[in-house]
Amino acid sequence: MLEDLNIIGSQSTPTIQSDWQGGRLYMCGDSYPENSYELFGQVINWTETFLGDASHGLHLELELVYLNTSSVKAMMDIFDLLEDAHQGGRTVSVTWRYDTRNERIAELAEEFREDCTFPFDITPQQAQA
Amino acid sequence: MTKPQPKLLQHVEELLQDAAHQDSPLREPLAQLYQHHLEQQEKLERLITIADGYQQSAHEDLHLTREQLEQQIRRQQKLSRIADRYQALLRERNLALRAASSVDPLTGLANRRRLNEQLEQWHATAERHQRALTLAMLDIDRFKSVNDSFGHGTGDKALELLAGGLQESLRASDICGRWGGEEFLLLLPETSLTQATPLMERLCQHLRQLQIPVDDDRHIALTASVGVAEHRPGDAIDATIKRADQALMEAKHQGRDRWSAAPA
Repeated sequence: MLEDLNIIGSQSTPTIQSDWQGGRLYMCGDSYPENSYELFGQVINWTETFLGDASHGLHLELELVYLNTSSVKAMMDIFDLLEDAHQGGRTVSVTWRYDTRNERIAELAEEFREDCTFPFDITPQQAQA
Repeated sequence: MTKPQPKLLQHVEELLQDAAHQDSPLREPLAQLYQHHLEQQEKLERLITIADGYQQSAHEDLHLTREQLEQQIRRQQKLSRIADRYQALLRERNLALRAASSVDPLTGLANRRRLNEQLEQWHATAERHQRALTLAMLDIDRFKSVNDSFGHGTGDKALELLAGGLQESLRASDICGRWGGEEFLLLLPETSLTQATPLMERLCQHLRQLQIPVDDDRHIALTASVGVAEHRPGDAIDATIKRADQALMEAKHQGRDRWSAAPA
C-alpha cells in the first residue's frame, strides 16, 4: 500500500487527496502549476500503483476548473490508466462536478470523456459561494 | 525451382542405381555431387523459411508502429483541442474581467478608471498630432435634495436615466463616464470648444426633458450644469479637468441648468 496523497491546493495548483482504503482520488481547483510533471507524477504514480496492487475499485472525484496544457496531458494519462484497468475488468469510475455558472467546464469534461468506456458522470452543482 | 530439375534429378538417381554403370569411374563423383545437391537444396529451403519469417515480423512491426503513430497523433490532437478550449475560456474570462473593471455597475457607463485610461491616451494623441480635445464635466443640479426627498432608489433611477440621456446626446466617438457620485465626465476627441457648443446646447435641452418616475404616477424633472474646457496644448490633462471643474462651478453660480466654458 502506497502512502496516501494529501496535497494542499493553491491559487495555481489543485487540492489532491487520495484514499487507498476507500478507493477514492479527489482533485479540485485550478491547475497551472510551474512543474506539472512533479505534481502530477505523484498522482499518476499513485493511480498506477493502486490499479496494479489493490483489488478494489477506484473512483475519481473531480472539481477541476482551469487546466493548463500539461495538466490536460496529465489528466489524459490518468484517464488512459483507468481505461486500461477497465478493459482489464477492474471497477473504475469518474464523477466530474462543475459550477452551473460555468457550462464551458462541462463541455471540456465531455471532451475528456470522449474515448472513455468506463462510467464517467459530469454533474452540475450549485455554487457554494 | 525450375521444372526440368526434378526430371534431371530422377534421371541421375536412375543412372546411379543402374547396374550397367556400376564400374564407371564417373559414378562415385556423380553420387557425391548428387548428395551435395540434396543438402544444398535443404539449406536453401530453410534459409527461405527463416527470411520469410523475418519479413513477416518486420511487416507486423511496421503495422504496429503505424498504429501507434496514428494513436499518438489522435492523442496529440485531442490534447491540443482541449488545451485550446481552456485557453479560449481564460481569454473570455479576461475580457469579461476587463469589461467589469471598466464599467460603472449602476449606469453601465465607463467608470473613473476607464475614463483615466482614455484621457491618458487621447491626451497623448492631442499633444503628438496637434488634435483638439474638449472635456465637459457635468453635475446633476440639487441631486442631494432628490435623494433626501424621494429616497436613494429614485436617486439611482435618476442617475441611470441621465446616463442613458447622455449616451443618446453624444456622438459615437465621444466617451461619457461616471466621474463621481452625480458627476459625469464627457470626453470629446477631435473637438474644439466651438464644435462642442451645439452639442452642449443639445445635451442641456435633452436632460431637461427627462422624466424621472418617483412613484406610480408622479415624475420629477432634472437639470444639470456643465463646465466645458478645451485642452490647451502643453497643459497636463489634470489642468484641463480642473478648468472644466471651474467652468462647472461658474455654471452653478450663474444659476444652474446651463453650461459654461472655461476661458482659453
